[in-house]
Amino acid sequence: MNSLLAGPPLTGPESLASHAGRLGPMPAVGPRFIDTLVQSRIAGRGGAGFPAGTKWQAVATHSRGDAVVLVNGAEGEPQSKKDRLLMSTRPHLVLDGAFIAARVLRARRVILYIGERHRAARAAMLQALAERNETERRLVSEHAAPARYVAGAESAAIHFISEGVATPTTMPPYPFERGVDGKPTLVQNVETLAQVALIARYGEPSGTSLVTIAGGVPRPGVLEVESTTTIADAVSLAGGASDQARAVLVGGYFGRWMEARDAWPLRLDQGSLRSHGLALGCGVIGVLPAGRCPVCETAGIMRYLAGESSAQCGPCFFGLRALADACTRIAEHGTNRDDLQRLDRWTEDVRGRGACRHPDGAVIFLQSALQTFGREFAGHRPHSAAEAA
Amino acid sequence: MSNSILWYTTRGAGAVTLVLLSAVVVMGILSALRVQSTGWPRFLTTGLHRNLALMTLVFLALHIVTAVIDPFTNLGWGAALIPFSSHYRTLWLGLGVVAFELLLAIVVTSLLRNLIGHYAWRAIHWLTYASWPIAVVHGFGTGTDAWSAWLIVVTAACIAAVGTAALYRMLTGSTDPLASPRTEFRAGVQRRELP
Repeated sequence: MNSLLAGPPLTGPESLASHAGRLGPMPAVGPRFIDTLVQSRIAGRGGAGFPAGTKWQAVATHSRGDAVVLVNGAEGEPQSKKDRLLMSTRPHLVLDGAFIAARVLRARRVILYIGERHRAARAAMLQALAERNETERRLVSEHAAPARYVAGAESAAIHFISEGVATPTTMPPYPFERGVDGKPTLVQNVETLAQVALIARYGEPSGTSLVTIAGGVPRPGVLEVESTTTIADAVSLAGGASDQARAVLVGGYFGRWMEARDAWPLRLDQGSLRSHGLALGCGVIGVLPAGRCPVCETAGIMRYLAGESSAQCGPCFFGLRALADACTRIAEHGTNRDDLQRLDRWTEDVRGRGACRHPDGAVIFLQSALQTFGREFAGHRPHSAAEAA
Repeated sequence: MSNSILWYTTRGAGAVTLVLLSAVVVMGILSALRVQSTGWPRFLTTGLHRNLALMTLVFLALHIVTAVIDPFTNLGWGAALIPFSSHYRTLWLGLGVVAFELLLAIVVTSLLRNLIGHYAWRAIHWLTYASWPIAVVHGFGTGTDAWSAWLIVVTAACIAAVGTAALYRMLTGSTDPLASPRTEFRAGVQRRELP
């Protein structure tokens, strides 16, 4: 069956023998594979959803046999678990994708960039690498990505490999122009690379995505879903009941809050979500149960995002902190008109003012919260200590 | 009649430019001083600083263009762009050109900060402390209205505002307000000594 997680139980890394026995050897594809990739219309699964084919074309144009393939398994989004699960259980699928990229883009280096706290995933990837042939192994080096939100951003990953500091840099130059050590670089999420391995074999992607169902459901975790699966389906697969949710966060911390009843019929498919002004992002679906306070929840996430600013741009560092502080004042002391007005005004002042997209993502998240939880933000009262406990 | 409109516009736009430019300099110093309150977080100062600076350019352009195209002055574009090439009040007008070109360099490097890097940008931004006083002197030396009471009051207010802010800045010796949080963050994501 053409799917990412098909095969043996998801208890540990699949061996090369099992992987090759199930899917056959890694196909020897050439430069024309890029056309297949473009036709597959596969979008990056790291969060930004950028078309993979376009990225490969750009790197191929710039490569003079010196390109770099950066396998992005940093997974800095706190709620997301899907990249870790994929690396821990189907490492050869990811490696296949990376080596196909290396061959097609004439790359001399493959870099595994895996979150430092994702120990099982790193161990599985290195164990799988040890099973590959020497030609492949010699291409690869491994780097532990710092456990910070922005460390997984393309430019931060490149900055880290080249100079040892995982802070985002301004673009241009784009990774395909000047990436790791100044070489044209493909930075690709591990799930996208796993899809590449399937496209090389079957000519098309699996048509499925990995999503993480988080928050108020009995069995939170990773699911592989068809593009026809709705959010309601996915939540009920995680044991959740749709009548007990207040709202759904679609796409993780850089995503948007939705009224639960509006979210249920949405299909977990990039194109379909785009038509609703949403994005699948890194695939996190967060369920806010009816009992939880959306104002306090939003304030907590804003404090986290403000703390994850790399302090390079004033509007991001000071702006996100001011927004988080205003949310926190409302959460802790109850609604006040001044802070509500400030939130409305300041979100517009922060947007688009950073070198990277961190402030924009945080502001889009906050604006969706203000819209979805307008009633709660307008009439919030502080919770008593007993209630909070 | 149209000639005198141009002439009045030159003078008016010049005065407005002085006020705006002084406000920009004060905002710039305030942001370096980390001035903030609950209702006025720091990033608003920088936003206002930027927007006022762009608005200053608009009035400055009006000031220069109306002066040049005014047939009575007969300045020509050369005098407006090449310092000290004017036959009319060579020194005082030349100072205006110098102040304008310094300001242009500051604005252009700010817009291209991503390309030129933080340190080059910062070095050029220090030229503000040259551009602003030169502009004030230009106003006094050239200004048709320089000795009218209202402009003296306006100029004095501008000098007082910028002077106070600059003096305070010198006394507190404030550094880059982002330096310490940036160092802290970098310590968290740095895993290798730089060669």
